[in-house]
Amino acid sequence: MSNGVYNPFVNAQAQFDRVAEIIGLDQATRDLLRQPLREYHFLIPVKMDDGTTKVFRGFRVQHNDARGPAKGGIRFHPEETADTVRALAMWMTWKCAVVDIPLGGGKGGIICDPRNLSEKEQERLCRGWVRQIVRNLGPYLDVPAPDVMTSSKHMLWMLDEFETITGGHYPGFITGKPVGMGGSLGRTEATGYGVIYTVREALKDRGINIKDTTASIQGFGNVAQHAAKLFSQLGGTVIAVSCWDNVDKRAYTFRKKDGVDVDELRSITDVYGGITKDKARDLGYEVLDAMAWLEQDVDILIPAALENQITAENVNKISSQVKLIAEGANGPTTPDADEAIKHRRIFMIPDFLANAGGVTCSYFEQVQSNANYYWEKEEVLSKLDTKMTAAFHAVNDLAKRSSLYMRDAAYVIAINRVAQAVKMRGWV
Amino acid sequence: MSHDSSQENLHFLNERAKELNCLYQVDELLGNGRLSLPEIFTALVQVIPSGWQFPELCEARIIYDNRSYQTPGFCSSPYVESVPIKVDDKEAGRLEVVYTQEVPPSEEGVFLEKEHKLIRTIANRIGQTIWQRRVKEVLLDWEQSKIQNGLRETGQDWVVIIDLLRRTDPDMLMHVSRRMINHLLTSGITEAEDILQEYSPGWKIAFDNDHDNYPSARVPLGNLISISDRIFQVASRYLSAQEISLRLQKWIQEQKAYGLVKIIGRIDASVAEIVDALVRYEAMAGSTDLLPYTTRRWLQVALIKRFLSDNLEFIDTARRYIDVESFFSLVSRVIYPAYSHGKIGGKGTGLFLAHQIILQESQEKSLLADIKIPRTWYITTDELTEFLHYNDLQDLNEQKYKDLSQIRMDYPNIIQRMKNCRFPPELVKSLALALDDFGTNPIIVRSSSLLEDQLGASFYGKYKSLFLANQGSKEERLEALANAVVEVFASVFSPDSIQYRAERNLLDFQEEMGILIQEVVGTRIGPYYLPLYSGVALSRNEFRWSPRIRREDGLIRMVMGLGTRAVDRVSDDFPVLISPGQPGLRVNRMPDEIKYYSPKKMDVINLETNTFETIEIDSFLRQYGSQIPSIHQLVSVRKEDYIAQCNVWEIDFEHDDLVVTFDGLVDKSTFVKKAALLLKTLEERLGYPVDIEFACDGQDFYLLQCRPQGYSGEASPAAIPQDIPNKDIIFSARRQISNGTISDISYIVYVDPAGYASLENRDDMIKTGRAVGLLNALLPRRGFILMGPGRWGSRGDIRLGVPVSYADICNTAALIEIARRQSHYQPELSFGTHFFQDLVESGIRYLPLYPDDQGIIFNEAFLKRSPNLLSQLLPEYAYLEDVIYVIDVAAASQGRALHIAMNGDLEQAIGYLGSYSKQTHSPDPLSLKAHVSSRPAEKMGDDTFWRWRYYMAKQIADRLDFERYGVKGVYLIGSTNTGTAGPGSDIDLLIHVQGSLEQRQELDQWLAGWSQALAEVNYLRTGYRTEGLLDVHYITDHDIEQKTSFAIKIGAITDPAHPLKTT
Repeated sequence: MSNGVYNPFVNAQAQFDRVAEIIGLDQATRDLLRQPLREYHFLIPVKMDDGTTKVFRGFRVQHNDARGPAKGGIRFHPEETADTVRALAMWMTWKCAVVDIPLGGGKGGIICDPRNLSEKEQERLCRGWVRQIVRNLGPYLDVPAPDVMTSSKHMLWMLDEFETITGGHYPGFITGKPVGMGGSLGRTEATGYGVIYTVREALKDRGINIKDTTASIQGFGNVAQHAAKLFSQLGGTVIAVSCWDNVDKRAYTFRKKDGVDVDELRSITDVYGGITKDKARDLGYEVLDAMAWLEQDVDILIPAALENQITAENVNKISSQVKLIAEGANGPTTPDADEAIKHRRIFMIPDFLANAGGVTCSYFEQVQSNANYYWEKEEVLSKLDTKMTAAFHAVNDLAKRSSLYMRDAAYVIAINRVAQAVKMRGWV
Repeated sequence: MSHDSSQENLHFLNERAKELNCLYQVDELLGNGRLSLPEIFTALVQVIPSGWQFPELCEARIIYDNRSYQTPGFCSSPYVESVPIKVDDKEAGRLEVVYTQEVPPSEEGVFLEKEHKLIRTIANRIGQTIWQRRVKEVLLDWEQSKIQNGLRETGQDWVVIIDLLRRTDPDMLMHVSRRMINHLLTSGITEAEDILQEYSPGWKIAFDNDHDNYPSARVPLGNLISISDRIFQVASRYLSAQEISLRLQKWIQEQKAYGLVKIIGRIDASVAEIVDALVRYEAMAGSTDLLPYTTRRWLQVALIKRFLSDNLEFIDTARRYIDVESFFSLVSRVIYPAYSHGKIGGKGTGLFLAHQIILQESQEKSLLADIKIPRTWYITTDELTEFLHYNDLQDLNEQKYKDLSQIRMDYPNIIQRMKNCRFPPELVKSLALALDDFGTNPIIVRSSSLLEDQLGASFYGKYKSLFLANQGSKEERLEALANAVVEVFASVFSPDSIQYRAERNLLDFQEEMGILIQEVVGTRIGPYYLPLYSGVALSRNEFRWSPRIRREDGLIRMVMGLGTRAVDRVSDDFPVLISPGQPGLRVNRMPDEIKYYSPKKMDVINLETNTFETIEIDSFLRQYGSQIPSIHQLVSVRKEDYIAQCNVWEIDFEHDDLVVTFDGLVDKSTFVKKAALLLKTLEERLGYPVDIEFACDGQDFYLLQCRPQGYSGEASPAAIPQDIPNKDIIFSARRQISNGTISDISYIVYVDPAGYASLENRDDMIKTGRAVGLLNALLPRRGFILMGPGRWGSRGDIRLGVPVSYADICNTAALIEIARRQSHYQPELSFGTHFFQDLVESGIRYLPLYPDDQGIIFNEAFLKRSPNLLSQLLPEYAYLEDVIYVIDVAAASQGRALHIAMNGDLEQAIGYLGSYSKQTHSPDPLSLKAHVSSRPAEKMGDDTFWRWRYYMAKQIADRLDFERYGVKGVYLIGSTNTGTAGPGSDIDLLIHVQGSLEQRQELDQWLAGWSQALAEVNYLRTGYRTEGLLDVHYITDHDIEQKTSFAIKIGAITDPAHPLKTT
C-alpha cells in the first residue's frame, strides 16, 4: 500500500494509532477502529444521452456506526480511490464524535467527471447509485450528504429514487437539501457561528471579557463573514479581514483599527464577492498585504479561508499579543507551524472542533426531517450554541486535566467516545 | 476649407444648412402619399427658393402635364436655371428657378455650383416620384380589374397586361405585338399575314428573322393600338388564354432583360445606372423566371461581380444561392457616389450571401425559416475615395507608407480633419433617406472593406464599428450618423490597421472602405435598448472542455445585451459557453462556479443619454427584470447551492440571486438546435467553417454577420513541420488537438509525473503548487509553458495534479497536461476545467499529452537532463529538484526556442526546438485589453526596446530622492535587465526600502507618474497600450536577509538584479 506514495488512509491510520497509544486502547478496539466496518463497491450502468451505455464504479464506506447511523458525503471524482474514501469516512466518525452527535462516519462516491456528463446523465447516475445500495442506506442506517462536485440537486434526485423504491417519504434519508424541500434553516450561519461559540467559551474559561478583545480574520467567505458578525455582536472588535481580489488575482488584508463592519464591507463587494479596494479606502480601511492579517497585534486569529495558511515560514510573524487561534477553515495550520504554536502556548481551537457547526447543523436537518417538523432559525442556532458549548468544554476540560494540546485532546475525546460505544455494545 | 476665415466658414455652414433643410422639406412633400401630384407641386415651389442663396429674390416653377405650378412672383428673367424632369428617361416636365432681379454674382456665376446640383437633385426626385406613382396606379388598376373580372379564368391576365402596356409602355406594346404576330405567322396562321399587309408592308422583312427583334421604325401610336388589338384578337382565337399570358410575360421579361444586360454589360456602367436598370426591371418584369437559363446565369454572375466580389471561387458558390431577384432588395438600400464602380465590401457580402443561403435552405429546413437579418444599408467601397477627393484629402492615401510612430501621432488629427470635412451632397441625401428608413431605432455603423473578412485576412477588430442611439431631431441624428461614417472611414488610416496590412503585405492594395449601416437588433427596456441575448457562434470548437465534445460540435459564446462582450474578450467578465453539438455538457457544474463564471455586466444603448454603456446586470434585473420578455429563459435563481430554472412569476427580482445561465433557452427552446443547424448549413454550403454573430430581440433570431472562421491568427490550423529531426522534438500529440501556434517559448516548467507521484506527503504537493505560482511570477509572461501530470488545479485529491489556482498559472503561454499510462489504466485529464473559462478569456492554450500512445514522441531526456534552474530561482524549493524542472530552452539548445504547432484538422501537434522567429507580432487581436508583454518573438532581432527601457530606468534611479523616500537601492530585473524586452514589456524595478509607510506611499505616487508617462511614450512608439510601464517590487532588509520574494534576485546566479543606484 505504501510504496513511497502519499496515501491519505495511511496518514489517517497513523494519526489514529498515535492517539490510540495515548488512550491505551486495547488491540481489538484498535483493529476495529483503524479499518472501516463495512465497504460496498459496485457498478452502475448508465444509459448515456447518445444511446450508449457506460459503466461507472460506485463506493460506500461505513467506517463506524456504533454511535448512530453513518453520516458522510458522496463525492463525484474522476480518480477516486478506495483509500481516499476510507480516510474521509474515518475522519467523519471522529468529527461526529467530537461534537457528541449520535452519528457514525461514512463516505461514498462515484468515479466520474461530472464535467463530462450532462445533467440528465448525472441524474441517472445518482439514481443508479441509490438503486445499487438502497438496502444498506436509510435514515436509521446511513445518511448521505453533498460533497465534492455534488450539490442539493443531486441529493434530491437520490432522495426521490430512495423514496420511490421504498414507497414512503423519508426526508431524513439524506441531508443538504434545499430549505422547503427538507432542508434546515441556519445552515449558512452554522459554521461561522459555531467558531465564535467556541471562541466565546474559551475566553470565558480564561477569564477574558470578550468586549476587551480584538480579532483578525483570514477570508471573507461565508464562514469568515458570519464569524466576524457574531464576534462583533458579542462585543468584540474585528480589526482586520482578508479577501481575495478577483481583478488583481491576489488577496488583500483590510484593516480598520476601530472595528471592521461586515455589513459595510459587504455593501462594497464586486460581483465576485470581493471587497473593492478603492471603496474600502474611502470608508477608512487600510489595504494591506494578503498575509498582513496574520501579523496583527490582536488577541484572536481566525484563519477561515484555505488550508496550509499558517506555515513554518510565517508562524513567527504571529504577534506576541495573540492568545487564541480558532481554525475556521479545514487544516489551515501545517504540522510544523502547529508545533511552533504549541510551543508558544497559544491556545488552539482545532479545526474539527471549531468548524463542527456545519456537521451539527446537518444532524439537526436530519432530526427535523425524521420528525417532519422544521424549526425556526433561532431554534436551530440556539441548539447549535448548546451543542458547540458542550463540545468545547468537554475537550477543554480534558486538555486541562491531562495537560494535552487542544488538538490532541479533541482526538482523544472523539476516539474515546467511539471506543466506549463499541465496548458498550459488546462488540469488543 | 483650410484657408477659410471663420467668417467664411460660418457662411458656408449656413448655406449648407439651408440646402439640407430645403432637401428635407422636398423629400417630406414628395414622400407624402396622401397628397395628389398637383398639391405636391404647388407646395414644392413654395419650398424650393429657401435652398438658394437669396431666397427673398428667388422664385420657382414646375411645369408638368401642360400645367404650370409657380410662386406668385414668378416671372421670366435672364437669371434663370431650368432643368428637365425626366420620367422613365423621357422628359415629362421642367423645373425652373429664377432670380427676379440681379444678384451679386460670385466666382461661380449667378447660381452656385451647389445650386446647380441641388436643382438637378430635386428634379430627379420629382421625376422618380411621378414614375413611382404611375406604376402604382397601373398596378392598382390591374389588381382592380382582376377583382372585377373575378369570374374570368386566371389566364385572362393577358388582357390586363396589354391594357397596362398600352397606357405605360407603347414601345413594349409594339415589341410584344411583333413577337405575337411573328409567332402566329410561324404557326401558320394566315390571318396574321393579312394584318401585316394591311398596316405596314415594310414590316414583313423585319419579322423574318426571329432572333433579331429590335424595333426598326416608329409607328404612330393610334396605329399601333389598333394593330395590337387586331393581333391579339386573332391570337385569342387560335391560342389559349394561358398561352398568350405566358408568352407575353416571357417576352416582356426578355425584352426588359435585354435592357438590363445591355447596361450591366457596359464596361463603364456605374452603380447608379445598374441600380436604376434593376429597379425598372423589377417594376416591369417582376422576376426572371421565364428568361432563358443562359441569360439568367449571365445576369447573376455579372451582378455578383459588380456588387459583391470578383473572386472566382466566391462567384461559383454565390451563384447557387443568389439570383437576380436577390439584388432587387439590395439595390434599394445601396448608397453610392455618382459614377460609382464600388462594391458593398466583405462584411456586407458575407451577410448577404448567408441570408440568401438561409432563404433557400429554409424551404426544407423549417427551423431556419424564421431567421432574420437586420435592416441594412450599404455604402459602396468607393465612397471613401469620393469623400477624400471631394475634400482634397488625397494626401491621406500616402499615410500608410509613413513611419508607424508618425502614423500614430497623426491619427487623432486625421480623425478631426475628416470630421470637419464637407460631405458630398449626394451622400448626405442618401444618408437622410437611410435614416428615414431606420426611423429612430438605434443603428450600428460597421466597416465593410474589400479586404475584410475575406479568406486569409479577417481584419478582426482593426476597423471600427460604432453604435448610434439615433435619438433626437433628424438633423441631430444625421449629424451623428455622418460623424460615425467619417470615423469608420478614418479607421483606414489608423496605425493598427496599417500595421496589420503591412504585416500581410497588403499595403499596396488600394484599400476601399465600404460601410454597413445596420439596425441594432433589440428592444427597449427602461431607458435602455438592447438585444435580450447575443453572441458569436463558431462551427469549429477550438476550446473543448470535455473529451466528449468534438471540434465539429461548435461553440457559442453568448451574453445578455449587445454582443460586443461576447465578440471581444473582456478581462473582468465571462460569457456563457455552449457547444451546440453537446448542449448538455456545460463548462461549469457546481453552483459556485456557475455563479462565478456567469456574465455580470452587459453592454446596452441608453436612449435617454444617447450613449453606449456598460451596466451591471444585477441592478438592471432588480429594476427592470419583470419587464423583460421570457427572462426566465435567460436567468436562473440561485438559492444556497441550488440553481433552479424558474417561472416568471416565481422570480423575486428584488431579492433573488439571479444568475445568467441561459439554461431555459438551452433546455426549453429551439435556440441551440437552430444555431447548430445554421452553423452546419452555412459551413456545408459555403465550404468552410464559419464564424457568425447573432442577436435576439425577444421575438426573432437575427443573423448579424457571417465570415470564415479561424483566421484570427491564434486559432488557425498550424502547418505541422515534417522535417524536424527526432532529437529536436520535445513532444508530439495526436488526441484532442485544437488549432493554434505558440512560438518562441524560452522557458519550460516541467513537473515530472513520476517525481510528483513519489512525493510522500501532502505538504510537498502543496509546496509544488506554490513553487509553480512563484515561477509564474518570475518568468516572462507568455514566454514559458507549464507541463505537468494529470489535472492541473486539482482540488479534491491533489495527487492527481498540482494544486494551483488560476493566479498561479496566469502568465503561462500554454497549460499542458500529461497522462502517463499506469499499468492498466490511464488517468483522465482535466482539460483545464478548474479554470477553463479563465484560460479561454486570457488566450492561454491547453494541450493534452499521452506520451505512452503508439507513435508518440516524448523527449523526457531533454526535460530531465537539461540544466534545472529551480534551485537558483527558488533556493528554498531546491529540494523539489526531482519534481520541478525549470529549463532555459535557449541555454539547453544552443540558442533556440520551443515552438508548438497544433493542427486540429489533422489531430496533430508537435513541440519542437527551432530558431526564434524574427517576425513581429501585433498585439493579440483578441485580447484588446490584455497587457501583452515581452513575447520573445518580438524581442529578438530588435534591441531598441530594452535599450530605451534601460536608459529610462537609469534616469529614474538617478532622479530618485533616496533620502526623502527612504530608499536604499534601486535594481533592475526582468526583461530590460536581460536585454530581451519587447515592445509591450514593462520595466521591472526592485527597490530596496527602509522608510515609513508614508514615505512608501509618496514614493508610489512619484513612480506612478513616471509609469504613466512612460506608458504613453511607449504607446506612441509601439502601439502597445498599458496602464503603466513600471512594475515595481519593494524589498526590505528583512527580505534580503531571509532571501524571500524578489530579494533572491540580488546576487543571484541567473539574471541577477542589476544595481542602478545604491547608497
